[in-house]
Amino acid sequence: MEAQTPSAGAAGEAPRLSAFDRHLGRVETGFNLFAAFAIFALMLLGVWQVLGRTLFNAPVRGYIDFVELSMASFAFLGIAYCQRLGGHVRMEMLLKPMRGRLLWGTEMFGTLVALAVVAVLIWYGWGHFLRAYQLGDSTIDAQLPVWPSKLAVPIAFALLWLRLWVQLAGYLRLAIDPRRRPVAVTTVLSVQEQAAHEIEETAGAVRRGGPG
Amino acid sequence: MDAFSIGIIGACGLVVLVFLGVRVYIAAAAVGLAGLVAMIGWDSGAGMVGTIPHSKSVSYTLSVLPMFILIGFLAFHAGLTEKLFDAATKWLGWVPGGLAVATVMAATGFAAVSGASTATAAVFSRVAVPDMLKAGYDKRLAAGVVAAGGTLATLIPPSAILVIYAIIVEESVGRLLIAGFLPGIVSALVYGALIVTMAKINPSLGRPIRGFTWTQRWKSVPGTFPIIAVVVIIFSAMYFGWATPTEAGALGAFVVFVLALVHGMRWNGLREALLESAKLTVMIFSIIWGVLIFVRFLGFAGLPEAFAKWVVSLDVPPIMVMICILLFYVLLGMFMDAIGMLLLTLPVVYPAVIALGYDPIWFGIVVVKMAEICLITPPIGLNCFVVNAVRPDIPLTTVFRGIMPFFLADVATVGLFLAFPEIILWVPRLMMGG
Repeated sequence: MEAQTPSAGAAGEAPRLSAFDRHLGRVETGFNLFAAFAIFALMLLGVWQVLGRTLFNAPVRGYIDFVELSMASFAFLGIAYCQRLGGHVRMEMLLKPMRGRLLWGTEMFGTLVALAVVAVLIWYGWGHFLRAYQLGDSTIDAQLPVWPSKLAVPIAFALLWLRLWVQLAGYLRLAIDPRRRPVAVTTVLSVQEQAAHEIEETAGAVRRGGPG
Repeated sequence: MDAFSIGIIGACGLVVLVFLGVRVYIAAAAVGLAGLVAMIGWDSGAGMVGTIPHSKSVSYTLSVLPMFILIGFLAFHAGLTEKLFDAATKWLGWVPGGLAVATVMAATGFAAVSGASTATAAVFSRVAVPDMLKAGYDKRLAAGVVAAGGTLATLIPPSAILVIYAIIVEESVGRLLIAGFLPGIVSALVYGALIVTMAKINPSLGRPIRGFTWTQRWKSVPGTFPIIAVVVIIFSAMYFGWATPTEAGALGAFVVFVLALVHGMRWNGLREALLESAKLTVMIFSIIWGVLIFVRFLGFAGLPEAFAKWVVSLDVPPIMVMICILLFYVLLGMFMDAIGMLLLTLPVVYPAVIALGYDPIWFGIVVVKMAEICLITPPIGLNCFVVNAVRPDIPLTTVFRGIMPFFLADVATVGLFLAFPEIILWVPRLMMGG
């Protein structure tokens, strides 16, 4: 697990990069909020569907079609947000002991691989959308158009692609001069920091607490 | 070069990328893409890969994941843990090591609204450890029981990891969820029996807590109703089929949502819970489509069948192979998150396990249990670090010493599952026959 370097902690360092990082971050949070509300809406729709079907014998028409198409929102839109916060799973065993140029060079390599893969996914994901749009593809049951759902993929991946460029720039400036403070990249957390992070996430859970 | 050799090179390439810290979804997609392009050319290969993220993610079965994740994040705002612990203490406090047993049972109850092992350990470190220490319980026992208690969350539904397993191996989600209940409860009972035995032998570990009246006991029960409601919704929906897993998850999430509102969750809390749910959801979806790109490539290379054939041809009893596979998971689980570990290995390991004659449901439960054991095993054992972080006054070495008996109990439980597969298979068979 890792965390993004706080922008405030590196005040004055790489001003343009951190400004771009912040702006992009706002868009990413917006996208993720959209995904979050889609999840909330899915919950409400599910409740409505069950109550409608069992109590009033009136299920939501095209429920499954609707759920499937809306899934693109939470399956993809938050992907750049998750990347920025270092939420995507990886193995850190070999990264943990690395320091300086070796570490930042390895991170750059990983980011370059990601840039290449995501570029292909954007291109062919766009083609996948375009075919659906031009053919006027729709779902079998409710006749909903498929293209908006398919469009979510290249859009979300394009945002991820920008995020990866920001991270590449962040790693590059560290590789050039490892004494600089990290900006706009994720850094690997120790197990202790990771544990502290887990606890933060459940902070709302318990009102009493603390040692004593 | 023939397809099989490309497959081997690809699998090795994936291992290298993962070790270099490339994120699993990217590593799997990169190798899958490169391999397919090498085998069937750029246009067909990349074109196929480009359609996989959407076509594989947009499937109704997967829509249960965000619902289960949402239940988990909302549950932390619903004030359920204190009420569960209170009720468990009043009903079970009288046994030797009563508060520790109550902790296990409360964690079992909380597992019904949480699929997150580490987070559950964190919450119970706050709720149960202060009471245990106040009652003069041994620090090792108090720390060990909350670290171990957290691991119950992933077996007992709602469990995202069981859903992911079901999807990757193309088994029924409902069947796996149903199958998780009994082994989860068996694990809890083994923990409970362990605590009672230890406290009987050495009463200074934790004395019984007596003196509750029956009125007090009954009064503590209504606090646990929401948990019972969620269990009944999910279990009965799967068992009787009156709702799909997604619909049952939606109902469960709604119950917990209302409860969280009543308990005082406001906009900020809801926003946090929703953002975290979305982040975890997209992480899981990314790794699913990434691995499915890799799986498509493996299929073209014929690697899984070849591996399965080789494993079957080995001149060792299947049980030995199974034990080796489980040990391999212990090793891997020390260095990797459970979801990443399962998704990366299952495409190759699973066909071999099935070829050896093991039941897919049984293997799913055992593998998830192994992943949980990794969370309490040194040197990483994230749950132990979490307990230490919540309670800095309990040194890490004390936590690790405290977890030892529970670790051994878990090994015994896995042994039990190996010897008596019926513990896992009985309930799903009852449900759907077969």
